[in-house]
Amino acid sequence: MDTVTELNKSATKAPSTRRKKKLVLVGNPNVGKSVIFNLLTGTYVTVSNYPGTTVEVARGTGKIGQEVYEVIDTPGMYSLFPITEEERVTRTLLLTEKPELVLHVVDAKNLERMLPLTLQLLEAGLPVILAVNMMDEAEAIGRTIDLDALAKALKIPVVGTAAAENRGIEQLKGMVSDYVRKHVA
Amino acid sequence: MSGSMSPDSQLIQYDETIEKALNNIAKLLKARYNFSKRMIALLLLQEDDEITKMAKIREADFPQIFSIIQQTKSKYKDPLRYVITLQCRQRSDQILAGVITDSKKETQLQSWLDQISINPFTGIPILLLVLYFGLYKFVGQFGAGTLVDLIEGNLFENYINPWVNQVTAKLIPWPSIQTLIAFDYGIITLGLRYAVAIILPIVATFFLAFSLLEDSGYLPRLALLVDRLFKKIGLNGRAVIPITLGFGCDTMATLVSRTLETKRERVIATLLLALAIPCSAQLGVIMALLSANPASLGIWAGFVIMIFLLVGYLAAQLMPGEKPAFYMEMPPLRLPKLSNILEKTLSRVQWYFLEIIPFFILASVLIWIGKITGLFDAIINGAAPLMYALGLPSEAAEVFLFGFFRRDYGAAGLYDLQDSLTGVQLVVAAATLTLFVPCIAQFAIMVKERGWKTGLAIACFVFVIAFLCGIILNLLLTSLGVTL
Repeated sequence: MDTVTELNKSATKAPSTRRKKKLVLVGNPNVGKSVIFNLLTGTYVTVSNYPGTTVEVARGTGKIGQEVYEVIDTPGMYSLFPITEEERVTRTLLLTEKPELVLHVVDAKNLERMLPLTLQLLEAGLPVILAVNMMDEAEAIGRTIDLDALAKALKIPVVGTAAAENRGIEQLKGMVSDYVRKHVA
Repeated sequence: MSGSMSPDSQLIQYDETIEKALNNIAKLLKARYNFSKRMIALLLLQEDDEITKMAKIREADFPQIFSIIQQTKSKYKDPLRYVITLQCRQRSDQILAGVITDSKKETQLQSWLDQISINPFTGIPILLLVLYFGLYKFVGQFGAGTLVDLIEGNLFENYINPWVNQVTAKLIPWPSIQTLIAFDYGIITLGLRYAVAIILPIVATFFLAFSLLEDSGYLPRLALLVDRLFKKIGLNGRAVIPITLGFGCDTMATLVSRTLETKRERVIATLLLALAIPCSAQLGVIMALLSANPASLGIWAGFVIMIFLLVGYLAAQLMPGEKPAFYMEMPPLRLPKLSNILEKTLSRVQWYFLEIIPFFILASVLIWIGKITGLFDAIINGAAPLMYALGLPSEAAEVFLFGFFRRDYGAAGLYDLQDSLTGVQLVVAAATLTLFVPCIAQFAIMVKERGWKTGLAIACFVFVIAFLCGIILNLLLTSLGVTL
């Protein structure tokens, strides 16, 4: 049913050349970007524990809500002011690809060190959603995070996930759809 | 939405001087950017190379912008980059103050394990234990021993090879084509046999062990532990990952060396991988050759480690470029998930296997061509003096020649030769072969990753050093009258 309506829709309004909406995953190394990438696209990319595995930019397609997205997994970055080659690649990508959505993935346990990048992304005027990942591990070390307060302070959607356990992914997808519907005509 | 936040709702309010500079620069920016003008102004203030270059070309008012930057800079004693980062961080902390509540620290067990894996006094014994059980016992003995014996000794030697030889002899009347497919150097009997029976079990066990270490969070701690030693050889602790990976497959490790931060580190890592890190396939065969005599194994290992440190040290002294700094994420130690490990191992083995099969077949074909045309005999004859200098019989040249097509191929060739060699000869041959020019696959990756000039230079350097070191080792052992 869903696919049928989707097909009809794209048949009526979409010229075949229409560009897919782009969703770019950014964040420090080791925060589970690749896991989320796999969950959004269903494509396998080696998931790794040490920094720098995702050196190459991985691209995949995934359907979120009614929309098919090009999902881009970027090399790890610490700041919008690049030091390493990997960071430079990611910034160039953000500067040139005009993503409809930038999903900043952070590690809940190290939120303090990672939030400055969220602020930078927002200052750059990018359309950001914040995914606070590894919530399970943060809970395990006794940390609680008030996601609503964070969303209010940043004025953007914030979602808590534990991607390795597949937690929060549906909610994340819902937020992506809502956001894109509201902000991208 | 994008780029149009009103000034009074600014997420970060920098100090007055910076805010003024930002506003003034933003007003002067006329070109269109995908980032907000405020962010472009921020990056310009921090003298970001790329953005500055871009603005220089695109902004007519760049000279004015430049003078604003200079004026602002002169008002601070610290670099603007530092000032801006600090203020951004303060804002971030301020936001989080009401968001995060921490009740208890990490578990006792975790912090204890963390401590003992990083402290050198406990960390080095732990590392040795990991190497002994993970690498030697599991990969070396179980993978390269038990499994290889089972597949190669049993399946291939007893069933597949005789059958292939028989069928080939029956169906194909031309001896030259027969030897392409079967017998000593055939595609099936040699190429495929090496790939399936020797390489596959070794690589699979290695990747399993490596994935386990990786997912447990041990590797970053190992990096921290060896950081000081690695600094001496021009690398930082982060390089432990490609170097360790090199014990699995140097080709893949060379690919991974791109995660290192500076060009200098990448070149040093590539060089060390090409020279002194034996891959799992080689390691397995060399272990099998030398482990009968612990003294031989000791001399080989000591010699190769010495070369590794010496060349690394010299490279670090001689290579220009910035010295490495160490900064690495420290994920928590965690219990790895079996399904993740298996999936990871499987995808790696699959990737590796698909990548090497063509090389093995190609190597078999090239060896066949070389044999048929007499090219190999010419090279082997030409290399005889070199072999004599190493104290080896001239047949050993064959091993080195094949070694280039696949390093492990060469080592496995040595295995066939072992009965006719003395202990000293075996050690010299094993050491030289370990150092010798990487296999053709690694060479290709070296060239791809580092460029023609650097790749070729490293290959030539390794070639010369390998034989030079072999000759020195032979002279040393024979003149000291060592018998093994």
